[in-house]
Amino acid sequence: METEIADKIASGSSARTDRRIGFSDRAFFMLIVAFLLVVLAVVLVLSMGMGATKIGVREVLGSLLDWHRSGSTNSVIVFQIRLPRVLASALVGAALSVAGLLFQGLFRNPMADPYVIGTSGGAALGAGIGLFLLSGFSFLGFGATAMMAFAGSVASMALVYWLARIGGRVPVITLLLAGFAVSTMLSYSTYFLVILDDNFGLRTRVLAAWLTGVIAVPRWTQLEVTAVMIGCGLIFCFPLARRLNTLALGDDYARQVGVQVEKTHLAIILTGSLITAAAVSLGGVISFVGLIVPHMARLVLGPDHTRLLPVTAIAGSIFLVLTDTLARTVLAPSEIPVGLLTAFIGGPFFLYLLRRTRREYAL
Amino acid sequence: MTPLLEFVNVSFNFGRRSVLDGLNFTIEQGDCSALIGPNGIGKTTLLRLAACVLACSRGTVSLAGRRVDTLRRVEAAQLVALVPQRFEVPFDFTVEQIVEQGRTPYLGLFAGFKRRDRQAVERALEMADVTSLRSRIFNELSGGERQRVKIALGLAQEPRLLLLDEPTQSLDLGRQLELLGLIRTLSDEGVTILAAMHDLQLIEGTFSSVLLLEPDQELSKGRPQDILQPDILERAFDCPPRRGPKLVGENRALLEKIP
Repeated sequence: METEIADKIASGSSARTDRRIGFSDRAFFMLIVAFLLVVLAVVLVLSMGMGATKIGVREVLGSLLDWHRSGSTNSVIVFQIRLPRVLASALVGAALSVAGLLFQGLFRNPMADPYVIGTSGGAALGAGIGLFLLSGFSFLGFGATAMMAFAGSVASMALVYWLARIGGRVPVITLLLAGFAVSTMLSYSTYFLVILDDNFGLRTRVLAAWLTGVIAVPRWTQLEVTAVMIGCGLIFCFPLARRLNTLALGDDYARQVGVQVEKTHLAIILTGSLITAAAVSLGGVISFVGLIVPHMARLVLGPDHTRLLPVTAIAGSIFLVLTDTLARTVLAPSEIPVGLLTAFIGGPFFLYLLRRTRREYAL
Repeated sequence: MTPLLEFVNVSFNFGRRSVLDGLNFTIEQGDCSALIGPNGIGKTTLLRLAACVLACSRGTVSLAGRRVDTLRRVEAAQLVALVPQRFEVPFDFTVEQIVEQGRTPYLGLFAGFKRRDRQAVERALEMADVTSLRSRIFNELSGGERQRVKIALGLAQEPRLLLLDEPTQSLDLGRQLELLGLIRTLSDEGVTILAAMHDLQLIEGTFSSVLLLEPDQELSKGRPQDILQPDILERAFDCPPRRGPKLVGENRALLEKIP
């Protein structure tokens, strides 16, 4: 027997070769992250130059580096209007994509997305209630809108999770049905708030923009608050990412290797809802980003969540900055809601995924 | 010597239904035992109790002399690994990525893979003879290959006790024999094994002892040749009266050829 083991050790050349593959795997991953970061920087700068007034790259960079001294119109446009807007879309894109990744891991199902499963709808309803009914209220600098958005998204997520889970599994059919029913109820409940509008339709217009997904130019304080929320959420995702890999092998298995399954599920729900709520408070209900981006990342990198997480966040930023730039330039000077564009791209993609996976899920 | 696994008067109720009632047995270090019994008698439940995935309703389960209810989950996971019967993976994980999950009990939330974890994964892949499959997608493997990968996953936990839930189920004869060979190799290398077995033909020659669970009876433990007797089995499995074929021993000639 000893000789057999010795033989195995001696013939360990295959293991060494594979370790080399493991290294190049890692190098490939680092290369992708670096590449995406460069693309993100380029896209951000180019996007700030585009719009009703075209501004050259050099001038954009000049205004960014020297904003407090130069008082030219273009630098005001760049710093006061375009910079907050592109930063907001980058944050929203990262948040929605990562939320999609978390929910797909939690449900062990590639069709989950904050929009599809109603989390965005819950956040929008919560935000609407905050806007219409509790507009004067704030706590620790967080307005009622942001807090209610968080509460709404946690509540709707928990509801769909509870409805769709059958014997420890979430079959795609119950997930989609529960998500559809909950998000429809939520969006009509949000419209109900319109009746309460006594402010000459102003709030109604804000609400309508929310429900179609428009990234408004935020105030800097608003941007700071959501950046902190999304930043904290993303940092908290890193320890969760490895847990998602273990949970992918099933709750029973995860429990057997010592994972506290229920607590981990709760942590995923809270984190996903937090970043979805932050995204919704900036950009309203933007559909399908959380479906497309993680899926693309998975095609390139495979299913390891620890690698998917950073790549999904950066790729999500790039994707939404690009679509938002398209949304505000393609019919300039008027704007298309970015949610409409992502729905145009994401809807067919969602159907394609559904068709491709239907055999697997016996739909 | 303290037994590795000890059940003292263990009962388990599923809702109001009693699944296991007053079980007593021990598994010693180095045992290679088969757990047999009719369908629905609670073989899987027994394994899950031993793996600390379920908690018993009455009685005590001890692992290496410590009561499992005093063990933290990760401590238990370092002592015992359960290779489940059904195992579905929704995404395209490679074999290596799957086997790496076996290191979960040894990793903190933030700590990365260390050299020792890497070595344990390599050794698990080698012992289960799946090193050559490491870069393959798990969902694209054949049934026999998947079974070996699942065993590698259990071995990556470096458990003192390996629990297998019907490891030969839905494998063809060749893959069944291959798997029995693997079980023997693992046992020879010092891994203590308790396997729920469906196919009684495959027990002799591989397992050193048999645990028989039967309705309304004490659990009986003994050598395969003592337990695998037609009269005992016919009673345990509630066989209808018939003329043949014989319950065990039919395929002896074939099984003796196992390398």
